[in-house]
Amino acid sequence: MANEFTILLLIGLPWLGALLVWFTGDSRPRFQHLLAVLFSLAAGAVALSLIPGATDQAVLTLNVGGIFGAFTFVPDGLGVFLAAVATVVGSLAVIFSVEYMKGEAQLGRYYALVLFFIGGMVGLVLSGSLLLMFFFWEITALCSFALIAFNNDDPKAVAGGLKALIITSLGGVGLLIGALVIYGYTGSYEVNDFLAGAAQLPPDVLSLVAFGFLAAAAAKSSQVPFHTWLPGAMEAPTPISALIHAATMVNAGVYLLARFYPAFEGVPGWTTAVVIVGLASACLAALMALVAQDLKRALAYSTISQLGYMVYAVGVGGVFASQFHLLSHAVFKALLFLGAGAVIHSVGTRDMRQMGGLGQKMPFVRNTFIIGALALAGLPILNGFWSKELVLEAGLSGGPGWAFALMVIGAGLTACYTFRMVWLVFFGEPRAHLHAHETGPAMKVSLGLLAFGTLTTWLLVGPFGEMLAETLPHHHLHILDLGELISEILLAPATWLALAVIAIGLAAWWWHERLAAVRDGLGFLARWAEADFGFEWINRQVVRLTRGTAEALTATQTGVLNWNVAGIVGGLVAVLMILLLAWGA
Amino acid sequence: MTDTTLTILIVGLLALMGVGLYGLLAVRNLIKVIVALQILVKGALLALVAAGAASGQVNLGQSLAATVIVADTVVAVVGLALAVQVRRTVGTLDVQALARLKK
Amino acid sequence: MDAWLVALLAGSVLCAIQAIRATRLLTAAIWLAGVSALVSVALYILGAQQVAVIELSVGAGLVTVLFVFAISIAGEEAMAVRGIVPQPVGLVLVIGAVALLAYMVLPAVGVGSPVIEGSFSQMLWEERGLDVLVQIALIFAGVIGVLGLIGEGKAVPAATAPDTAAEPAAPAIAATEDSTHPAEAVAEAVERAPVPELEEVHA
Repeated sequence: MANEFTILLLIGLPWLGALLVWFTGDSRPRFQHLLAVLFSLAAGAVALSLIPGATDQAVLTLNVGGIFGAFTFVPDGLGVFLAAVATVVGSLAVIFSVEYMKGEAQLGRYYALVLFFIGGMVGLVLSGSLLLMFFFWEITALCSFALIAFNNDDPKAVAGGLKALIITSLGGVGLLIGALVIYGYTGSYEVNDFLAGAAQLPPDVLSLVAFGFLAAAAAKSSQVPFHTWLPGAMEAPTPISALIHAATMVNAGVYLLARFYPAFEGVPGWTTAVVIVGLASACLAALMALVAQDLKRALAYSTISQLGYMVYAVGVGGVFASQFHLLSHAVFKALLFLGAGAVIHSVGTRDMRQMGGLGQKMPFVRNTFIIGALALAGLPILNGFWSKELVLEAGLSGGPGWAFALMVIGAGLTACYTFRMVWLVFFGEPRAHLHAHETGPAMKVSLGLLAFGTLTTWLLVGPFGEMLAETLPHHHLHILDLGELISEILLAPATWLALAVIAIGLAAWWWHERLAAVRDGLGFLARWAEADFGFEWINRQVVRLTRGTAEALTATQTGVLNWNVAGIVGGLVAVLMILLLAWGA
Repeated sequence: MTDTTLTILIVGLLALMGVGLYGLLAVRNLIKVIVALQILVKGALLALVAAGAASGQVNLGQSLAATVIVADTVVAVVGLALAVQVRRTVGTLDVQALARLKK
Repeated sequence: MDAWLVALLAGSVLCAIQAIRATRLLTAAIWLAGVSALVSVALYILGAQQVAVIELSVGAGLVTVLFVFAISIAGEEAMAVRGIVPQPVGLVLVIGAVALLAYMVLPAVGVGSPVIEGSFSQMLWEERGLDVLVQIALIFAGVIGVLGLIGEGKAVPAATAPDTAAEPAAPAIAATEDSTHPAEAVAEAVERAPVPELEEVHA
């Protein structure tokens, strides 16, 4: 049942909920919790009901006049799948928040922004018009900023939020330029028109659009070299990290690449660039995760790394593999973040060096976290195993060999840092006197459902592939049903190679005391990884340069309105003269 | 629309915009700055309608002008509220005094 | 028609000059209303009847009332008449800009184009539908802005929200947010929204 009403409901329900929570006022927190949970659950239900009705036709058309074309909403397979992820993980994050945010001030602002984000994310993935997509793209960036900076009396949180906003907005410029150029050449903002007629654009223009979109995607999905904002975004409350910075918004970049892959695959150098971006993110972020001391930062680096796998998959032509890994990752990474949130909520620190031995005090959290960790490491039979192997297999058949080799090494690193993380948090001797307690029911519901999803979502591969293949006419996907998936994965040499490397990765952590010599030998790499491979330094230089220029230019600002206007009129005269000269020539 | 009419209109609206621009440059009272802004926008309003009429689409010009009127009114309202608040907190409407806000 | 137009435009320019020259704010506002009224008549003659009516009621009516209202609150104020920007500089700049515009626009006179029919409402609602949405957003932003400006610096009685008052949290994002407690409201106004240094991005 995909009609216009459902789409309006899907975007409108969270937004209505946001308004209601906001107007309820912070004097009635229980009612706010209740409203937020109800509206997010309702949106989740509507999104799930939309799945059987996925179609490649626009079902909702908002007529905004002949100048802009119509704003359309197209619930195709890619769109409804991501909308379902956004709303379902969103509702679980909201349920988790009931306990996590209990007693916090300004709940109204928190829930209103979360619900506004869910609606915006749904709009982003369902909109069939590039202009509308850009609007929703910026709405999600705005919500992300506001929620990272939720504790706005903490300068670190505000700074992290600003950094995220600046970097993702810079990427958004790429999307806007691409959209405007497409409109300029085809006279339509419709995504499907563009996918059908991309070949008619001049090659250099198409390549401008393709690389503009790649920049937008890299910034949004926190890929190298724009990845520096995601670790800073970990200042957000943990349910936000799980929802926005692991399961939904950061996937928007991968979504964009997958959505426009048919149009750009012929652009010279584009697929190679995508492979390199994905590869660099996957491997560098895995190394950074290996040396991170902060639990949430380690998870953030692991998110960058896993997103790198998805980007890589798109680059080698495995759009289906990338989306399948996206589904798995959204579920198991949300689980890991929420598990980390439960730990942090309980012990009050994010530093893994102070944790240890928490498993006995929090058995439920430990068990669910381990399920998520095994999926992240890519061990059978969890969903992360199937999707990661599918990505690697796509890489072996469709991409360069050296990239495949590095990605397999990345899988080994993933196993190693995952194991390290689990060990440091839950096992070993307690390293500090921390007061830990088991979580309450709301957190358990969210964790339990996500753990169940981690164990089972790969079973849905058949219907998932069919839905994508039927509703994406331009993509020519290579889909598999469950039986084919199992046989293909288990018989592929890539799988056994990857599993061997993963085992080496696990062993490397297990015997890391004995491998001390190797570790010390690689100390330079660790220090380099701790310094973020120099990307933070580049960021600082850019900021310094901007500030320096701005400060030098303050001399021109008198602060007097009249002089400002004189400057504007002077600028007008200059522009008019340039135009005249250009015309005269 | 005849060519003479259009010429008269263009001259008139440019004069109006010129007066508005000069006003923005010259006046020191914040409320009068808003008055000057209003005059400038009246010129723009005429320009939109004139362009619509000249290109045979009066109603397209009109619909754009309607948007401009809304925007202009919002500017006036927010500007006046700002001026009142400035007067209340800074004690004067002189734009020279507001230059202190720079630091 | 042309004679009327000349008279109307000349009148509106004269009114505009008077509005700029007026020393009293109230006088300036009245002259502005004159500009608005004359322009709306000119719009009517040009065939833009609907917009003329809107302009007359909103521009000449509502905005003038707002001006009078604001002036009565803010009060007249004696101020140096001499501008800050030297007069010759201003005149040269403005005359230069206007002359350039005229030089560029006037040759377009005489380039005819076909008449395209379409009613005002059809244009507004169907062809420029996005504009209507933008107008709504503008009005909304205006309302929020005015509320924020009026609310600023005004201490709200302590009875509003007892449980949030316990946590002094400075709202950095929403300027419209109600202040929670008189004492805190003052403190908040002082250190309102400490804009973070960009360098801290790397903290």
